Amino acid sequence: MLSDDQVNEIIVEVENVPSGVVPEKTLVNSSFRMVSSASDIHVTDSQSFSNPNDKKSKQLLWFSTSLNESFSQTLHSPGSVGIDTPCTSHENIQGQKLIASLIPMTSRDRIKAIRNQPRTMEEKRNLKKMVDKEKSKQSRRMLELNCCAQCLNSISRAYRRSKNSLSELLDSVSLWQKTLKVIGGKFGTSVLSYFNFLRWLLKFNIFSFIVTFSFIIIPQFMVAEKNTLQFTGLEFFTGVGYFRNTVMYYGFYTNSTIGHRNGGASYNMQLAYLFTIGACLVICFFSLLFSMARYFRNNFINPHIYSRGIAKLIFCWDFTVTHEKAVKLKQKNLSTEIRENLSEIRQENVKLTLNQQLIRFSAHLAAWVVSTGVAVACCVAVYYLAENNSEFLKKHKDPGAVLLLPFIVSCINLAVPRLYSLFKLVEWYEMPRHEVYTLLIRNIFLKISIIGILCYYWLNIVAQAGEECWETLIGQEIYRLHLMDFVFSLADSFLGEFLRRLIGMQFITSLGLQEFDIARNVLELIYAQTLVWIGTFFCPLLPFIQMITLFIMFYVKNISLMMNFQPPSKAWRASQMMTFFIFLLFFPSFTGVLCTLAITIWRLKPSADCGPFRGLPFFIYSIYGWIDTLSKRPSYLWVVWIYQNLIGSVHFFFILTLIVLIITYLYWQITEGRKIMIRLLHEQIINEGKDKMFLIEKLTKLQDMEKRANTSSFTMERRDVEQPGPLPVGERDAARDLRFRRSVQEENSKA
Amino acid sequence: MGNKQTVFTHEQLEAYQDCTFFTRKEIMRLFYRYQDLAPQLVPLDYTSCPDVKVPYELIGSMPELKDNPFRQRIAQVFSEDGDGHMTLDNFLDMFSVMSEMAPRDLKAYYAFKIYDFNNDGYICAWDLEQTVTKLTRGELSAEEVSLVCERVLDEADGDHDGRLSLEDFQNMILRAPDFLSTFHIRI
Repeated sequence: MLSDDQVNEIIVEVENVPSGVVPEKTLVNSSFRMVSSASDIHVTDSQSFSNPNDKKSKQLLWFSTSLNESFSQTLHSPGSVGIDTPCTSHENIQGQKLIASLIPMTSRDRIKAIRNQPRTMEEKRNLKKMVDKEKSKQSRRMLELNCCAQCLNSISRAYRRSKNSLSELLDSVSLWQKTLKVIGGKFGTSVLSYFNFLRWLLKFNIFSFIVTFSFIIIPQFMVAEKNTLQFTGLEFFTGVGYFRNTVMYYGFYTNSTIGHRNGGASYNMQLAYLFTIGACLVICFFSLLFSMARYFRNNFINPHIYSRGIAKLIFCWDFTVTHEKAVKLKQKNLSTEIRENLSEIRQENVKLTLNQQLIRFSAHLAAWVVSTGVAVACCVAVYYLAENNSEFLKKHKDPGAVLLLPFIVSCINLAVPRLYSLFKLVEWYEMPRHEVYTLLIRNIFLKISIIGILCYYWLNIVAQAGEECWETLIGQEIYRLHLMDFVFSLADSFLGEFLRRLIGMQFITSLGLQEFDIARNVLELIYAQTLVWIGTFFCPLLPFIQMITLFIMFYVKNISLMMNFQPPSKAWRASQMMTFFIFLLFFPSFTGVLCTLAITIWRLKPSADCGPFRGLPFFIYSIYGWIDTLSKRPSYLWVVWIYQNLIGSVHFFFILTLIVLIITYLYWQITEGRKIMIRLLHEQIINEGKDKMFLIEKLTKLQDMEKRANTSSFTMERRDVEQPGPLPVGERDAARDLRFRRSVQEENSKA
Repeated sequence: MGNKQTVFTHEQLEAYQDCTFFTRKEIMRLFYRYQDLAPQLVPLDYTSCPDVKVPYELIGSMPELKDNPFRQRIAQVFSEDGDGHMTLDNFLDMFSVMSEMAPRDLKAYYAFKIYDFNNDGYICAWDLEQTVTKLTRGELSAEEVSLVCERVLDEADGDHDGRLSLEDFQNMILRAPDFLSTFHIRI
């Protein structure tokens, strides 16, 4: 609550302004703004930000929003200072504060802060010039720090310039910019998020391929043995035959130390293989982790506040849609959604009878039982088929017979999700996003259990069956699965969606065109990527194959999208969904891959006569052997020390886990504290609003009294009284409007 | 990447690079887009800082803007005199704010100004009615439009003064994480 002195001060400010120096409209604004800006700064200072740079830039933004045109005039003509009205000198002081706060920042932060200023280009340029001038004046005074500071300055400038040119280079090779623009223009941000996800996965695979190519495949090429097998066209699908003796599979790689001809540097293939795959996975891990963290930070600020709100529909119009028909369609869809939203809010207090609730609950239960049952049945079928595969293959000598298992798996992946989508006819959900999440969870369960069953089969049965070169066998299986999945996706796009369009347009025209099912397509991408990650150890060329398939998929999906689909009718929360998908990619998918590979490396016996680890009792023994050889060399003892005390020691991991748990607990408590703070600040905002209303009422009452006093005393002086007229009348109108609004709201809240 | 261009001086280009979210190449590309809008009006040499304004009709005919329901407001907000005629500075500013690198607060500030049709610093009920009408293009009845405006004010008005201030708007945007990706024009 502001004290009475401050209230009187504000009234004094309004009356003392000489007319004609500053336009009256801005005075009205500035008097109101001073009330709000005082509370603004108070609110800002009491908020605590974790990042001090964030705090500075946020404070700058707050300062700038409460500046009005007089300060921008100062920036336009940097020479003029000090217009001597009380309001504008207040803003001028704030402008000086802004410049003063920019000066001590590093140049990188300064540029960031200037860029984030909501000002016109000219103002920003002048601001930058003034700050640079001030800074050079200051730095001339600090001559003793000259050498070091100049050095650092020039290094940071060079770094910034190189970063700029690197980003320019990357932009020029950025894939598919124009295509993405067209897709966004016609279908909006939500469908665009699928294609962005595809492009992001492609980057992963390009990186994996480059790493494996440089460190494993090229050295292997140098000691490659001649391939004596025949090549028939079927090998592209089955992966056996000719490809068995190429760099494609684990079995081809040598276990020797590739030595340079003159006995120079040697290249240990075993270590190279393990470390390369390990490096790929580690970098994928960190990349996924950082992306996930960034998405969580941007999109999960208040997860518990789900606003079924209409405000978001109004203010989050998709500006990326640029195609005329798409815009019209979007406007129509938005109207439908708004109507639905309005009627939903009216219906949200409908209570269901016990009978209806029971029916709904039993429908849900039945659907879950059926979906889980179907998933389990599919897994059992796959396992049974896999187990009997070898006998089946012995009976049927047809080389295409190995494709039966991948074919069945792909059929399951095609048919069962569509079955799950049919369940929505039976089940009824309160909120549409529950429906999306349920569908996603069922599909994820299906896909992960199939991969899980297959991994179990491969690691427990194939690896221990005593077959020659079981790693190559697994590699071939994964290759076939991946390729069959790709073929089915192509067939689905070319035939399935095309047929659906024909049906929708020609035969049953009420159906119309279909909408792009983002969730199902993203899950298919995640499934394929999981297979690739598992398979890279057994088939190092798999990232390359995935690269090509993703590339082709982009164009196929794009063409199919343009031909067979219509823009989405409902708002799809693209950011939250993307966060969820990246979390999915990390949590069951990538961690599952890590578990599988860990089991392989630590528990399984490599095959005796093929591959880089032949003859060892376990894969990990190559590392043990290397540590042993290193411990004999005195200059590498630190590596041995790190291995024995940090990586191989249980105590270290125990202490590390304990520290991580403590830090997590502390951060959790800090988050809880901040939630309380947010709630208190929210209440404070409401109170400040009430203060504002109170002050405005008091202001208008005082001015009414004054006007009554003036008009009643001298009727002849009416001309003079009317001159400051426009000012109070405008305020009174605004205040009356606000008072009316407030009383209406109070009535509404009482009702 | 040598300094082969003759349109800007080195300092001008540096200043543009530091004041927008664009790289040098993108700034040149945007300049040529601007120049294409009015080839007779816009000179190919900006070293002398010519005072050239491309009229709103040409700006509004750009493929990125021509079907946007808010194109007039966008041009008005970013133009110097609020009339929609834009200089090169305004043009670069506009696309810099609408690019994907601009932070949420900056975008929210300008989105607020775009939706504030009467430029009084607050989004009042009349502003909301204008916004909803532009968004739905006459599909909703007048009664539904006023109902929608009332609901929006109920939801978003934090200090209960009957209109949305910048802070109310920014608070509401925090709860809509899609805002960052939808308030984006790709050029």
